[in-house]
Amino acid sequence: MKKVYKNVMLMLFFIIVFGQNLAANEQLELKKHFLKKIDEVILVVEDKKLSKDSRNGNIIKCLTPMFDFELMAKLSLGNKWKELSKENQDRFIALYVERMKQSYSSKIDAYKDEKVEVKKIDQSQEGRIAFVTDLVSKEQKLEIVYKFHKPKEKRSDKDNWLIYDVEILGVSILKTDIAQFKEFLQTKSITELMDALSKQS
Amino acid sequence: MTICLSIILNFAGCSSKNIEKPSAEALYEVKENNAVNGDVEEFSDEFKIEEVYDPFSGYNRFMTGFNDGAYEYVLKPVSKGYKAVLHVEIRESVRNFFNNLYFPMRFANNIFQGKFSYASEEGARFVLNTTVGIAGLFDPAKSCFELQAHEEDFGQTLGFYGVGSGPHIVLPLLGPSNLRDMISLYPDSLLSPIDYNERRYWTLTDTLAEYLEAKSLENVNYMSLNMDRYEKMRKDAVDLYPYLRDVYEQYRNKQIKE
Repeated sequence: MKKVYKNVMLMLFFIIVFGQNLAANEQLELKKHFLKKIDEVILVVEDKKLSKDSRNGNIIKCLTPMFDFELMAKLSLGNKWKELSKENQDRFIALYVERMKQSYSSKIDAYKDEKVEVKKIDQSQEGRIAFVTDLVSKEQKLEIVYKFHKPKEKRSDKDNWLIYDVEILGVSILKTDIAQFKEFLQTKSITELMDALSKQS
Repeated sequence: MTICLSIILNFAGCSSKNIEKPSAEALYEVKENNAVNGDVEEFSDEFKIEEVYDPFSGYNRFMTGFNDGAYEYVLKPVSKGYKAVLHVEIRESVRNFFNNLYFPMRFANNIFQGKFSYASEEGARFVLNTTVGIAGLFDPAKSCFELQAHEEDFGQTLGFYGVGSGPHIVLPLLGPSNLRDMISLYPDSLLSPIDYNERRYWTLTDTLAEYLEAKSLENVNYMSLNMDRYEKMRKDAVDLYPYLRDVYEQYRNKQIKE
């Protein structure tokens, strides 16, 4: 009996240690991949020989596999999402994704001599990791949190871990969209919202 | 529980046997829809939106429009002209000068919140920047000694002790605020050398005209250094007022938590 107990305890110990190791490895790998991607983006941003449009195009090409814009589109509508027809869902996703791409690439194109430092990694639950980073320039430090999730099924055109929200100085891009879309839809229709989104991108 | 579920599902399967088999496409759609709804539910806890208390939304909306117009037609062109005339290093020095003047406010509010190490860092910054940095025009504390500024104001102090934000209020020209932060402007102004009230101690400005001049210079200078920031942010709004309101409240909550 004592032996069985000892074996069980040993097994438990290994599971806990290996489990933690696996999680730590996963985090490290993601961090390496993330920083590599950031370097790629910075190379594109610094290539001032290119025109602004083609630079933006290249930034979008680098960023798209990292982000789950489609999930963000769905979440931004909250419960309203389920009420949409399939057609409207598809149109909304397309518009939202385009808007996000444009908004991101123009923001990132303004980077100048800035560095990204990962200062903390949070794993609140399995399949979710958040990187707390500082965007360091000579003037200031800007705290940006990138939230990743691991989809159950990997999509061929996407990375294993995908960003589903970004918090800049505590302001969550997704939360802000959820709130403003909710308020918009209280007085206006989804078609009007889609028209407003199409004007933005 | 799982056994029960599987039995029920089995029965459901049996009863649907007689019904026409759905096409593969329809099945795929159902599967995709379930996945999507699952996604929305899986993340719903994380994105529970707390509604901002907003009884003055009519007024706030109007004032946001007014402020946006003031930015577009006054602040922006003036800042552009100012930027064209003055070299960036001079403008950075003007910013440093004003930042240095607000030291008493940051120092006191750090103390009020028990953040003594931040307060002492602020104290060291003030001494260094006022002397070596020539009345705060330069920031050697940061560039040579890596001493960071720690922005704290009375609104954050109240928030730190659990005072809620109250209704959201958009202030003329100053932009988004709330009752807590608006009231806090008064105690902070007592610690600011830029003021128009009669004070027993030294202040940089004494009359309302001087006060407005100094404040205008500070704001135009700030804008000239952060020209695109507001415009880029504004681009992401489908409706400017609730967008700015949410950005402000989330940002303040983060500042209070720090």
